Amino acid sequence: MSSINGSNIKKVVVACDAGMGSSVLLTSQLANTLQPYGVTVVHAAVGRIPADADLVLCHSVLASRARAARPGTVVVEFEMFLGDPAFARVEQAVKNGEAIGD
Amino acid sequence: MTTPTPPPTSANPTRLQRSRAAVQRFGGHLSGMVMPNIGAFIAWGLITALFIPDGWFPNETMHRLVEPMLGTLLPLLIGYTGGRLVYDQRGAVVGAIATTGVVVGSEVPMFLGAMIIGPLAAYLMKLVDQALLPRVRTGFEMLYNNFSAGILGGTMAGFGLYAVGPLVQGLTRVLGAGVQTLIDWSLLPLVSLIVEPAKVLFLNNAINHGVFGPLGAARVSETGQAIEFLIETNPGPGLGVLLAVMLFGPKVSRATAPGAIVIQFLGGIHEIYFPYILAQPKLIIAAIAGGVTGVTTFMVLGAGLVSTPSPGSIIALMAVTPRGGHLSVLAGVLAATAVSFITASLLLGFGRGERAREKTQYQNPEAQS
Repeated sequence: MSSINGSNIKKVVVACDAGMGSSVLLTSQLANTLQPYGVTVVHAAVGRIPADADLVLCHSVLASRARAARPGTVVVEFEMFLGDPAFARVEQAVKNGEAIGD
Repeated sequence: MTTPTPPPTSANPTRLQRSRAAVQRFGGHLSGMVMPNIGAFIAWGLITALFIPDGWFPNETMHRLVEPMLGTLLPLLIGYTGGRLVYDQRGAVVGAIATTGVVVGSEVPMFLGAMIIGPLAAYLMKLVDQALLPRVRTGFEMLYNNFSAGILGGTMAGFGLYAVGPLVQGLTRVLGAGVQTLIDWSLLPLVSLIVEPAKVLFLNNAINHGVFGPLGAARVSETGQAIEFLIETNPGPGLGVLLAVMLFGPKVSRATAPGAIVIQFLGGIHEIYFPYILAQPKLIIAAIAGGVTGVTTFMVLGAGLVSTPSPGSIIALMAVTPRGGHLSVLAGVLAATAVSFITASLLLGFGRGERAREKTQYQNPEAQS
């Protein structure tokens, strides 16, 4: 189980199968909430997650691929593309500098 | 997690999850070669819909773009991208050279051939570099780099021309004949039994771009339109499920479904409805019923598209529908939506169960999930 302190998160990667559809949608939403804290949010295909990712957000059905691609990086899973508590959890961790794990 | 049925965590994957990830990964390679190039597919689709003799503005000069784009440009882009995925720019170059080999002399659009030989050539380049690069003397790197890529790429182009091309052409023909048999026997709707569940497991891109794309391109080059492009991309089944969830689903889902409908039906991002089905797997029956209805309607009315509508938005579908085909495409989408909606509403008991649960939760907040 990996874990990271919210204040050390500089780059969040939203991953989806192709890195072009749903991840782009979530990236634009998440960037709005996280940019004020100096966090960049980018999207990527789940097999090509950038090496400097501090935290990966990814649907639970794809999460095992994200973990295989970037072992040791925190992968936060979500179930729903809209209104999932995972997004609030990440925002909370970044805002308050709290630890967040898989 | 507050979803009704949290899946087992993927930190300790089961055997099923591992094989699912393997299939996803393979599919990801296929769609990863196609999806970055969708812009070219759209350009080709629009030019075809507008300027062919049966199009909106028949134009002999513009019409000359259609064949080279489908037969040459699109396979080359796929082979180039496939090579780049394996071995960056160097892999992309040898991938493109090798793809020329399968393109030349082929009578079907060589999407499958490009998906095979592009990455293969790049992989061989990688192996050759690993073996030879350490032995290259200082100052000779550029000479080595250029000539090794040129020689290997040229060789692979010949290999593609003589071996891979004819093989894949035969394979594409057999698969196309298989689809035609399904159409002739009116069995094509049954593919929805596989397609709809596979979509929800995030294999949507793999199925559309890896399977139906090449088959559809082969049919388009012969008959001008292809039903293959409509099977996975029909937004109807997902829309029906989302509408039912919006009216009769759990409270959380009811709140998010309207936004999801816009993103799915107009934006074309089908992924957005998958979680609603994953949370209540019985809803897959509704998606399948909608899919079967849609394909049946398309088949009976002779609907087809000229190119892959990507993303699967109703706007994209309409844009690549050949002139005169819009009503039959719309009919299939609407029929799929209606059947999927009715089935999903029945499965959700028209919200009776949810209303009862919310009532008990209201009276006894401790009983929550």
